[in-house]
Amino acid sequence: MALKTLEIIKKRLEERPKEIEKARREGQKVVGWQGYNIPEEIIYALGLIPVRIGVGGDDRMVEIGARYISTKNCVFVRETVGLFAENNDPYVQNTDILAFDATCLQTYRTAEIIQYYFNKEVLILGVPRNFYWPEAKVYFTKEVEYFTRRLEKQAGKKLNYQILADTIGLYDRIRNAIVTIYTYQAAAGNYLSWEETYDLIHAGYYLDRREYLSLLEQVLAELREKQGQPFIEAVEGEARIFLSGSVLPPGDKKLIKIIQEVGGRIVGDDLWSGLIPYLDVKIPENSLQGLAVGYLNRTPHGALPYLDLDTDRRIKRLKELIQTFKAQGVIYHTLRYCDPYTFKAKETKDILQKEGIPLLEIHTEYAGSDLEAIRTRVEAFVEMLKNRYDEEVAV
Amino acid sequence: MSVSGNVFRYPEEIRDDFLQTADIQFRDGSKASPAEVWHYLTEIGPKKYPHIYDYSNYYGRKISGDVTLPFSLKHNYLIMTMDERMTKAKQNGIPVVFVQGGQSVDPYYAAGAIALRPASVGIWASCQHEGLNLNQEEVRRANQKEKAYRAISFEVCQSAGYENIQEGTVPVDMIAPYSCLRCSDVSYGLEAHRHGKRKDVKLFLADYPLDHQKDKEWAITYFAENIRRLIESIDELTGGKTTAEDLRKEIKLHNEGRRLAMEIADLWWSAEVPPTNGKDRRDLFQMGGMELHGDPEASLSLLREAKGYIAERVKKGQKGFGVSDNPVRIFVCGSCVFPNEYRIEEVGGIVVGNDNHWSDITTIVEEDGDPFYNLAKAVLSYPYEQSIKERAKWTVEQIKRSRADGVLFLYNWGCNTQSAVARALVDEIKRESGVPTLIIEHEQQGTQSEQLQNRVNAFVEMLK
Repeated sequence: MALKTLEIIKKRLEERPKEIEKARREGQKVVGWQGYNIPEEIIYALGLIPVRIGVGGDDRMVEIGARYISTKNCVFVRETVGLFAENNDPYVQNTDILAFDATCLQTYRTAEIIQYYFNKEVLILGVPRNFYWPEAKVYFTKEVEYFTRRLEKQAGKKLNYQILADTIGLYDRIRNAIVTIYTYQAAAGNYLSWEETYDLIHAGYYLDRREYLSLLEQVLAELREKQGQPFIEAVEGEARIFLSGSVLPPGDKKLIKIIQEVGGRIVGDDLWSGLIPYLDVKIPENSLQGLAVGYLNRTPHGALPYLDLDTDRRIKRLKELIQTFKAQGVIYHTLRYCDPYTFKAKETKDILQKEGIPLLEIHTEYAGSDLEAIRTRVEAFVEMLKNRYDEEVAV
Repeated sequence: MSVSGNVFRYPEEIRDDFLQTADIQFRDGSKASPAEVWHYLTEIGPKKYPHIYDYSNYYGRKISGDVTLPFSLKHNYLIMTMDERMTKAKQNGIPVVFVQGGQSVDPYYAAGAIALRPASVGIWASCQHEGLNLNQEEVRRANQKEKAYRAISFEVCQSAGYENIQEGTVPVDMIAPYSCLRCSDVSYGLEAHRHGKRKDVKLFLADYPLDHQKDKEWAITYFAENIRRLIESIDELTGGKTTAEDLRKEIKLHNEGRRLAMEIADLWWSAEVPPTNGKDRRDLFQMGGMELHGDPEASLSLLREAKGYIAERVKKGQKGFGVSDNPVRIFVCGSCVFPNEYRIEEVGGIVVGNDNHWSDITTIVEEDGDPFYNLAKAVLSYPYEQSIKERAKWTVEQIKRSRADGVLFLYNWGCNTQSAVARALVDEIKRESGVPTLIIEHEQQGTQSEQLQNRVNAFVEMLK
């Protein structure tokens, strides 16, 4: 059933660390980055190799990380620190420069810890919290310019604006391809699952971006051939679930597996490790200012506080996506100590309840100790969604 | 000092001397004479707030007992009259703005508002309940906090006064903290108010840029714009128009408080023996932030008076009440929580300083030039908000000046941002100063925390 291109991608991912090693031997530098608002286009346009670092799901690595950062930090950041402490991950080993943004304060702290304990060259990109102000856009543009100047030093060359324009074009095509693939995975008679789509997104964290685009286009060609025009509809017997909340990085499959095992079908997400970074990106001009404004105008990350509930674009987008993917319920995943999303759980539940959309919050870590407790709750939720569907059809 | 059945009473024999001391000057031009203060502390206070007079060492906020320090008595008076004073201010049309601890409050007062941090709002709410003993007060506070946990999350450490503001217990008009790195809960706690039932509370975030912020002109300009907008938002509440001159005048006033606190700290730290106990020292140093009492002029009048008393004690080599001979000197780092100073003193230690709430006080604002820019630049320079190495460097200076024997890094349960750097910061401090360190997670608020205290006691014992 799996698409042929997925097999190719799997193979290419196995080969990628050696390729990167080779590129470094030949003088290329690798920028490992983490965050939500870093315009990766700049890294790529400067001839540096961007790799999005950070994985999840390994409790042992979390423990290692907690020796440096605190047990009061979320497991994702603890595992990120653990990766650097252990230094076995090939992408971590092959990182010359690190870039973090200040969207999530814990990510910012992670950067500080990695810099302090592991002597890594770390660049930070400041991100405004009053991101909707015109002055915040000026501030962020200056930050992006400063960030670029420091990257230019690392690259040993100035940014070529024609190459930047081409790169923005390349990334726009990647974004469009991902958004289209999401439509296919959510459709009836799908040949690609949400989990495979999710893995496909994560493949883009490591592969060369031109090759990645070409692979995405191959996936799309296969899907068009097998599936034709995608049509999203709820089908009898399905429990269509939308995932929201904290990050689910590569490797963190605990919740995803449980949902699938108990008969739920994930059809969409608004995770910052999922679809949301690829939506609503409109770069108004091929310049650093254009990139800064384009990134800041996307659906904001939950770590950026927004004080008016009625005009919150993140919530508006969440409601739209639930509708688009014809989801029947939301599983709101929160990592322990992930305040940006945990603090919004009840609020989000109340908002969606008014729309008739049930929400189940799953508050967890990477340890397996709560596996069965989560399974029981998710199973009951899935069953409830299926019953609701039956009742609605009966009415 | 007089204690009967674990209830504190101010002794009559100090009365005459106390009545000779200075008035407390308030911002609205009114005054409280020592006679009024004495009457309140000895007649009204014990009836209204029995819990404050509980003299158990398990109560970290108990009255100091160092009764010959007038500022200590006056500070207690200002705490106990918080509800009356805030109610009066509200009746006079002065808006109350909820802010974060450890930040300067110059712009709020320049715009004609009162700025209160979480602890002060908690005191205000507490003062609305009369006749409670310590146990009843603790239960009341815990019940209130539970409301915030339910509305936001049980992982919330700093609920941004949610429980008191959203319940309408305290009529706060606006919530407008700086989003400093010191605390992530403040920003998200502020945001949580958007789904609360009180829709009349105005929300504003003064967006604090991160990463070498003090060295970036564009970050200073951006934060200056935040201050400008903050003041405009308060102006909308008051109907006034705050000018640059108003802000400059306020900065000068607050600089006086900051300078006085630093001068007092220098005196205190220079003394052979600690001239006050740890609780009085903490209150005194914190007054330099000019936000402790919800009235900068009142704090200033206490500071002015206190300096002479501290100088006198240092000169005479007089030791603070309850302090042991040759106490182990502890410097406290970390988030906005404190150990119980009385219990540290019981085992032969004393807290001589802290980084939180001191970092902003030691940052003097330039008085000439654009006050918005100057204030922004100063705020972005707070040592507590800098990189690990820079913050550690400043902390080591404070440790050396205070002649601390050990460093205690304390962070509250659920405090993501301070706990994250706890290990790195103490490692750097140890490397640079050679002073032993201990990291402790502070449990939920309460009168007793034996596990925490056992560890602190063992640390003090080790340092003896």
